[in-house]
Amino acid sequence: MRLAFTVRPVAWVLLAFTVLAALWIVHRSPMDYAMQDRDHISEGRSAQHSTGTDELGRDRTVRTAAALLLGLAGAVAASALASSLAVSVGVGAAFAPVWIAKSLMYLCDLFLTLPWIFLLMTVRASLPLNLSPAHSAELTFFLLALLGAPVFVRVNYARAFAVRNAEWLLHGRASGLRTMQLARRHVLPHLRPLFLSQFLIYVPVCLIAEANLGTLGLGVTQPLPSWGSMLQELESSAMLAGSHWVYLPIALLVVVLLMLELVLFEVDA
Amino acid sequence: MRVARTILIRLLRVVSLVLLAALGTIVLMRVAPGYFTDSREMDGQYASAGRAAVQERQAEEGTLAASLAVSVRGWSHGSLGQSRQYDVPVTQLLRERAAASSKLLLGGVAAGWLLSLALTLLLSARRTRAGEPLIALSTAVLLALPVGALATFCLLSEFGGPMFVLALLIAVRDFKLLYRMLRQALRAPQVLYARAQGFSYARILRVHLLRTLGAELLSLAMMSFAVALSALVPVEVIFDVPGLGQLAWNAAMNRDLPVLVAVTLVMAACVGVASLFAEAGVTQETAQCA
Repeated sequence: MRLAFTVRPVAWVLLAFTVLAALWIVHRSPMDYAMQDRDHISEGRSAQHSTGTDELGRDRTVRTAAALLLGLAGAVAASALASSLAVSVGVGAAFAPVWIAKSLMYLCDLFLTLPWIFLLMTVRASLPLNLSPAHSAELTFFLLALLGAPVFVRVNYARAFAVRNAEWLLHGRASGLRTMQLARRHVLPHLRPLFLSQFLIYVPVCLIAEANLGTLGLGVTQPLPSWGSMLQELESSAMLAGSHWVYLPIALLVVVLLMLELVLFEVDA
Repeated sequence: MRVARTILIRLLRVVSLVLLAALGTIVLMRVAPGYFTDSREMDGQYASAGRAAVQERQAEEGTLAASLAVSVRGWSHGSLGQSRQYDVPVTQLLRERAAASSKLLLGGVAAGWLLSLALTLLLSARRTRAGEPLIALSTAVLLALPVGALATFCLLSEFGGPMFVLALLIAVRDFKLLYRMLRQALRAPQVLYARAQGFSYARILRVHLLRTLGAELLSLAMMSFAVALSALVPVEVIFDVPGLGQLAWNAAMNRDLPVLVAVTLVMAACVGVASLFAEAGVTQETAQCA
């Protein structure tokens, strides 16, 4: 436990430093993530491009920094949305009639047993083909949020149900507080630690899911950089022969995920 | 009577899971923009034929309910429809590719389980906690690698194959859980007492731990099966294995609804049956305890 107290702040600081560095690179670099330098295609480290370029001559440093920011922002938003949805459904089910609560939990259980990648592929493939890159990113993370919410519903329901049946809440009900007031003022504060835990747990899951989806060509569309689209570069053997900097995105992804793992260390301990 | 009811409820659960997967997939694909398009429309030579085919399909599957009815009618006759991409019966495509996927899946899960079990038994037998951070770090690094990236590394470095990637994925995930489970079980008072009495590790493991952890191990095995199913798509796509994962990916990229629905159904049924086994194990364990 003592180790967790030491490791956690260090992980937070490193994570914050990585995000600030990425922000600095994206804002201060003369290159744009979509700008193509056709004279330096698939090159290694050079004076203009510190970590080389991709097959379209785009600067890898800027693209990796932008992918990091987009991935983290999307994952944080998706995780927050998934956790909020789970809390809302859990609390709603706890105050709803038993048959509604049971049906909701059954649906969530069924949803959980589905092989998620097939579902995600189906949903992502059913989107319009002329989707703009920004919209594809929004929709990808929105889908991840929707698919992640059922994972946490049952635990929120159980906690909200226990709080709902507590004697002090019965007293509040007897005092004339309405259901909405009870839920907002008394039940939701009790779910805050749970919300935080599931939020932190789901952020790395979203990052990995987006990377996997992007590797299959079903994630964020070009020219917007994302972990998935950056990892697709790995499939080009010619690029690998040209420069080992092509491994930068995957190395950074692993580092970010490790830091998130360390942030969660206290939960594990 | 009670046993029959339990079996019936579980079977209903599997059926409803499959139906939910089918319904969800059909609804999603049917409401997708461009569902009623045909690649032949792009070709001047076949444009009129393409348009006629689209009109025919629109007339047959004009509404969502009609689409569902067409699919259900086909399933009731044992047909999963015709592939829009390959223009052959879906059942034929599934039959051709099921063998490759089954072989990969079973081999990967079995190898992963053996590896994780061997590592767990080896490492949990130690009396000290030295090296725990190193174990945690290496597990975390491997878990942080997306399956697609892992598969690409193996392909480019010409080290291992699709089965190796699946086995590694399963081994790492299960090792983390198994190791924690076994370390906790080894700290239980009765096990500590047995150790103090001089029982060997192998005997403690056989007599105490495997019996008490049986249901959890079965659940974990079934869970790893579901994990392997999800990893099947990137692994088969990257290693170009002609299996169901690659078929599903092709179908998703080409909006081949009948194939996508069929593969999702097969996968949902596999997960449903796996969870059935896992639940049966837990129930048996509970009954033994009672």
